[in-house]
Amino acid sequence: MSEMSPRETFMAEQETKGVSRRGFLKVCTLAAGAVGLPAWAGEKMAEQAASGAKPPVIWLHFQECTGCSESLLRTSAPDVAELILGLISLDYHETLMVPSGHQAEKSLEESMEKNAGKYVLVIEGAIPTKEDGIYCIVGGHTAIETAKKVAAKAAAIISIGSCASWGGIPSADPNPTGAVGVNKIITDKPIVNIPGCPANPYNLLGTVLQFATFGTLPALDDLGRPKFAYARTIHEDCPRRAHFDAGRFVQKFGDEAHRAGHCLYKLGCKGPATHANCSLNHFVEMPGAWPIGIGHPCFGCTEQKIGFRVPLHDTVDVERPTAPGTYPPVHADHGVVTPAAVGVSGLIVGAMVGAGYVASKKMSADSEKSKGKG
Amino acid sequence: MSGHDHPKAIGGAIMDPLMKLLLAIFGISLVVMLYRFFAGIGPVSNMTDGYAWGIWEPINVVVFTGIGAGAYSVGLLCYLLNNGRYHPFVRPAVLLGAIAYSLGGSSIIIALGRYWNAYLLGAVPFWNLNSVLLEVAVCVISYVCVLWVEVLPAVMDGAARSGSPGFAAWGKKWGPRLASAMPYIIALAIVLPTMHQSSLGGLMLIAGPKLHPLWHTGLLPFLALVSCLSMGYGAVVVLTTVLKYAWKAKHDQELFADMSKVNGGLLFLFAAARVGELAVHGKLKYLAVPDFHLFFFVLEMALFLVPAFMFFSSKVQRDRGRLFGAALMTVAAGALWRVDTYLTAFNGGPGWNYWPSLGEVAVTVGMAALGMAVFVLVSRLFPVVVVEDVHQTSVGAGRVRAAASR
Amino acid sequence: MQISRRSLLKGAAAAGAAVALTGKAEAREKMEPRPDAVGMLYDSTKCVGCRACVTKCKEANGLPYDRGNGAIYDAPADLSSTTKNIIKVASSGEKSAFMKQQCMHCVDPSCVSVCMMGALHKEGEGTRKIDGEKKGTGIVLYDKNTCVGCRYCQIACAYVVPKFEWNAAFPLIVKCELCRHRGDPKQEGPLAVANPACCEVCPREAVIYGKREDLLAEAKRRIAADPQRYNGQVYGEREGGGTQVLYLAGAGIKFEELGLPKLPEESSAHFSESVSHAPYLHGITPIALFATAAFVIRRNKKKEEAEHHGEGT
Repeated sequence: MSEMSPRETFMAEQETKGVSRRGFLKVCTLAAGAVGLPAWAGEKMAEQAASGAKPPVIWLHFQECTGCSESLLRTSAPDVAELILGLISLDYHETLMVPSGHQAEKSLEESMEKNAGKYVLVIEGAIPTKEDGIYCIVGGHTAIETAKKVAAKAAAIISIGSCASWGGIPSADPNPTGAVGVNKIITDKPIVNIPGCPANPYNLLGTVLQFATFGTLPALDDLGRPKFAYARTIHEDCPRRAHFDAGRFVQKFGDEAHRAGHCLYKLGCKGPATHANCSLNHFVEMPGAWPIGIGHPCFGCTEQKIGFRVPLHDTVDVERPTAPGTYPPVHADHGVVTPAAVGVSGLIVGAMVGAGYVASKKMSADSEKSKGKG
Repeated sequence: MSGHDHPKAIGGAIMDPLMKLLLAIFGISLVVMLYRFFAGIGPVSNMTDGYAWGIWEPINVVVFTGIGAGAYSVGLLCYLLNNGRYHPFVRPAVLLGAIAYSLGGSSIIIALGRYWNAYLLGAVPFWNLNSVLLEVAVCVISYVCVLWVEVLPAVMDGAARSGSPGFAAWGKKWGPRLASAMPYIIALAIVLPTMHQSSLGGLMLIAGPKLHPLWHTGLLPFLALVSCLSMGYGAVVVLTTVLKYAWKAKHDQELFADMSKVNGGLLFLFAAARVGELAVHGKLKYLAVPDFHLFFFVLEMALFLVPAFMFFSSKVQRDRGRLFGAALMTVAAGALWRVDTYLTAFNGGPGWNYWPSLGEVAVTVGMAALGMAVFVLVSRLFPVVVVEDVHQTSVGAGRVRAAASR
Repeated sequence: MQISRRSLLKGAAAAGAAVALTGKAEAREKMEPRPDAVGMLYDSTKCVGCRACVTKCKEANGLPYDRGNGAIYDAPADLSSTTKNIIKVASSGEKSAFMKQQCMHCVDPSCVSVCMMGALHKEGEGTRKIDGEKKGTGIVLYDKNTCVGCRYCQIACAYVVPKFEWNAAFPLIVKCELCRHRGDPKQEGPLAVANPACCEVCPREAVIYGKREDLLAEAKRRIAADPQRYNGQVYGEREGGGTQVLYLAGAGIKFEELGLPKLPEESSAHFSESVSHAPYLHGITPIALFATAAFVIRRNKKKEEAEHHGEGT
């Protein structure tokens, strides 16, 4: 075993897990596609992963439920979780790592020292700010302190989940701990927000792979979300969209229309205002594994102003109301003008006027004549 | 004045080329009308939900009855103001009125979408007395009957003088009876048009938001009444002049001139009332907007005012042709004002456009042709027109009688 | 005598003209919304243009699809004889707003005023009782049995709502009747009379059904609660004598842009009926005119006959 190159080792490892070389390449290509990169980028990623140059990742947990990590772990075949773990070097992850207590703290310190300026920092969970952040203390340090310390030497920072992005559930009214997103604490570095409750693991994969392969971060929208995943609304790609356009709505849970799979907008679906790719990339690669897929309205978890802010069954404005065909204008065009009819009626009126004029002239002349005679 | 000139039947061949032409034109419209009853109004017309009346209502009903108002205006002059000089005009005018109103009425049946329900108009409990159209409909139907009753004396006159004994006896028996009832019928013939002619203007009162402010006014009923009188006088002058040329009808230029002075007064009254209303309601500002509405307004005012001035000029009064031209303009003025009020100045709503289809034009022209044909036919058969040469007419009458008994 | 007759006529004409000119003759009292009036409130700012109402309206009223302009699905361009309710969009530059069109169910409808035999009438009054007791919900209903298809309603309606079946040999007038046929007995009072399908399906309650006074209060409440959101007016409160379907529009959007015409507070029906009825003096004028005319004509005729007799003709 010892004479095998790292590349062979990696592939051998993959193959024992039932992932063929071809399958691995396919996933990398897919991931490249998801980030909007050409197919050769996928090959390059596979190359890089196989060569053993894995970017070190430090994963911190604050106020959260670990749902994002859980959903990452529950991805199914091909085993994206393992691929991610194979593609990156996860140096510190409180849920997944073997060490605990001081040993854990030590591995964090070591990784930070060893990879200073090179590692990717992933933060899961909101950061409490009230009473100097005493509501979340790990190893004697508040979340604020830890975040600031680790972020200082990070090459890139990713906030995974809505909590890390802008507070999420912990920040919901009345927000007793003063929970905020990471970007409120760390303001001097670019932060990629991958919101969602939980975030779709594919979106993390795409971001990390791009950074690992090219050393760049994806283009972001004004809420710091990667555009490749959050540029379109759920509504735009919703499999139930046809029902919306046809005006077929579920009136209440369990009614005929609900069973028939009609549009959930009236039940409070936030799809029309929620930017995310859930309708295209379902969770854990299971077809239908996402709220609308199981018959529940989207609740807008990837939106700062909707998830945990707008009541579940309230409806929202449609952000980009597009529909097949266009809406008729307020004043539609009507009426037909047949050129032949215009001509004929013109002729008739003209003939009448002309005849009247000629007759009048002629009679006038007659009148003169008869007077002359008289 | 040596008593009244008596009207005579014109006689002559009935199926002359003119009659054939008129019937041919009517034939075309008949095809369109029949098609309309099978396919609906849409396929034969360009009417839309915005311009729901097309040209049938404005021209076939509103303009035709305006021309037919000759019976009303002459009747007013002759009977109510007791100016017997105008008697020679009465029968042609009444016949013209009877025909024009009948055509208007039958045009409505063609234009009605659900004509089979029209019999309900006779059921008083169904009446919505707020509906101006109901008033027009009921009044016009009654007036058509009254007009044909007014035509009856001519028929009975003809019957009484006819060779057939039975026919003559009928005419002699019923003629006088009818004559004694005539004052009441004539009174009706004055009340009914006063009501419905003003209502023809009143019809568009409710279209306020859709009608151009230069046309929409509370004076609409009054204007319509005045315009029908002036159209009527104009139509009688035009008709009698044409009859003179066609059949040597008696033609009294002086009488024309006198009647035209009345008409001139009416035209001035119309123009003054209209402009006055614009001034009172501050609508003169619309006259500063050079659009196609202004064009029609100016055209209308010209058609009203030019003949009005002409009628008071002694030169025109003496000149048969000029007077005819002026009278023609009077009819055109009233007709244009009516068409504008119903169609040109009416805005079916933004986005709605309208121009009549060939089918619609065919029906309108066909109806007019039918009217002329009926006029010619009745005048040939019965004593309607007062002619200059008595001898010629009696010869003609004999021929007609022969034709009629055929 | 001659003079007096003339002056009589002149007087009558002048009186009529004076009445018509002022147009202020209160020949009829103003029609107020009846207490049980029901209607709808459409909030343009809440509408998302999903057209659920258009679809459901067709279903509820059994109307065929409108595949005009070669569309392969139901795509009506305007209200028509196959579309009683439509969602349109008004756009000027960047701004756009949705607009729902259907019958406005006017408080004092022109169509009801002009309908010859009450085919169009207000609910609660029956087709025959045109001057009824002003009770009922005031929904404008259509009775095909007394309709002659004269289309005066189309001429009169300022909103261009009544539609005619142009391509039918036996046509009908088609317009929204507030889903009277779907009356909901579970509701209370006047609300049980109708049950508009559009309000039932609207996912955002952008259009709601209720008593007019409640809807008006709700509209005002919404404006007061969020003055920035609305243009501050409730269309239909007073326009054209008031309508039973009320409209709210977003800030900076004029109702005219939504296709709702600017109308005076006096209803067209009130103006028309006042001007038309005034000269009749409750039917006295025609009778008096007839009597006078008959009297004068008879007398003239007798006089004339006497003259003729004297002359010996």
